[in-house]
Amino acid sequence: MDILQYDFMRRAFAVGLMLAVIVPCIGVVVVLKRLSMLGDALSHTSLAGVAAGLVLGINPIVGAVVICVIAALSIEVIRKKLPKYAEMAIAIIMSAGIGLAGVLSGFVKSSANFNSFLFGSIVAISDFEMLLVSLISLAVLSAFLLLYKELFFIALDERAARLAGVPVRTVNFIFTILTAITVSVAARTVGALIVSSLMVLPVASAMQLVKSYKQTVIVSILFGILFVIGGLFLSYYVGLKPGGTIVLLGVASLVVLMLGKGVLGQKA
Amino acid sequence: MRKLASLLIALTLVWSVLLAAPAAAEEQKLKVYASFYPMYDFASKVGGDKVQVVNMVPSGMEPHDWEPEAADVIGLENADIFVYNGAGMEHWVDKVLAALSNQSLIVVNTSEGQTLLEGHHHDHDEDHEHDEDEDHEHDEDEDHEHAEDEDHEHDEDEGHDEDEDHEHEQDEDHEHDHGEFDPHVWLGPLNAKAQMEAIKNAFVVADPDNASYYEDNYARYATEFDALDAEFSAALNPLPNKQIVVSHQAFGYLCAAYGLTQESIEGLAPDSEPDPARMAEIIEFVKDNGITTIFFEELVSPKVAETIASATGAVTAVLSPVEGLSDEQLANGGDYFSVMRENLAALVKALQ
Repeated sequence: MDILQYDFMRRAFAVGLMLAVIVPCIGVVVVLKRLSMLGDALSHTSLAGVAAGLVLGINPIVGAVVICVIAALSIEVIRKKLPKYAEMAIAIIMSAGIGLAGVLSGFVKSSANFNSFLFGSIVAISDFEMLLVSLISLAVLSAFLLLYKELFFIALDERAARLAGVPVRTVNFIFTILTAITVSVAARTVGALIVSSLMVLPVASAMQLVKSYKQTVIVSILFGILFVIGGLFLSYYVGLKPGGTIVLLGVASLVVLMLGKGVLGQKA
Repeated sequence: MRKLASLLIALTLVWSVLLAAPAAAEEQKLKVYASFYPMYDFASKVGGDKVQVVNMVPSGMEPHDWEPEAADVIGLENADIFVYNGAGMEHWVDKVLAALSNQSLIVVNTSEGQTLLEGHHHDHDEDHEHDEDEDHEHDEDEDHEHAEDEDHEHDEDEGHDEDEDHEHEQDEDHEHDHGEFDPHVWLGPLNAKAQMEAIKNAFVVADPDNASYYEDNYARYATEFDALDAEFSAALNPLPNKQIVVSHQAFGYLCAAYGLTQESIEGLAPDSEPDPARMAEIIEFVKDNGITTIFFEELVSPKVAETIASATGAVTAVLSPVEGLSDEQLANGGDYFSVMRENLAALVKALQ
């Protein structure tokens, strides 16, 4: 196939597929916890980490991961303090992160470095990034499978989960850290847009079709894969920006599903 | 209540520390604000020790996405002269100038009256249209010829406003990142010379007492621009290859002056996301034309350039659009001329 003759497209498919599997897995839990904006918040906050890393002279990717983990844990803390307003926690951390990134970027000597860490594109992926995404995918996938029941409980009703004897704090902690690492690395690799939208759009689409948690997980992953592959094909053959194409394909599918459901619902 | 009061006091203290900005002022010298590095460099060279030039974009920043902060606007309120490139490079200029109450500020648009190149946008759509009736190589040649033709046209009736309108109409169906013109005027040494002249003229008007000083400085650097121009011609004319692949379409004026053509991965703005079709096209272009070097610029991520280089076996190298110098370059006494000579060396190496 013409599209696969280029190495950069093969990498785009490989990394895109890995993310299309793990990000919706995280997304299902995140959406059910009413934290849909988490991906956005964390990817913006990770910019502060990149800037901090450059200012302090440590590896910016490490900086991004560290700040992202701190931000994600802070969101958890604030969310518990304001249980009815989970989305406020996200808004607070996102503002803090963007503010910090803005101020710190003033201390970064060369925007050359800064840009090279901010900029992520699915069609320009290095060996190192590919390796990093593979490792993270492995970690997230195994954690998701091992903690499947626990995450399911927590996602539906945290209090009930605690009563049922699920170690809620530990599981939340692991999940939060894995989310933070995934978002910070993936946002640097393929761009924040793809990551934050893959967290929500496949899940929202799956929810139009199926009811159970398990089905939602499976259908979300299928939608994730569909959006990424479809988006890459479209962007390659029509000549569109890949990130935006993947996202718009997701939104379009969701709209069609919602309309379709509405029409069918009226008939029934 | 007491707790609240002490909190408020603490907040007030923090704010007052933050807001007590150091207010040091240097009097007498002409206060010049330059919109980014080349403007700063040219203004400093002409003004010497009679002016105090502020480079608004800090070193190492990419000027395309820079915007002035409050402190910069305050600086402009107290400045005598504001020097900018124009041609759409500084998208914030109109807005900021309209907001200023500084009536005596002399504003210098250094590209005014110059022959501006059209802002060709190397968009896939556009190339696609070309592809239908022409072959790929012709795309580039056409760009080049077009640029030259335009030069000629303008030479005949130079510097009229009508020209600009005319060009605008011609150009309507194109897509542009920066408005209708390629703003990277300073990358042609002779264009840069004209920009410096515009700066010199403004200094002479603003500070007639030192007019001869400014004239002398300008005359000295004008010779240097001519020398640089001669060096570029002498080094590039004999080389067999004329095509360069660059990450950002910044080198239109340079290419037009020395018979080169640029194939750019991105359009006039340096850091938008590439689309895969364009990348595939560039890879084919590099393979078909035996291009050995993919140029990127130091202020923008080299990721895409590296991806293309690794797909084609080419190497990557820096070709600086002189939009800003790194602290390192500044510490080593670098300036417009030294960076342009580095560019020339890189071009010679790539085109041999």
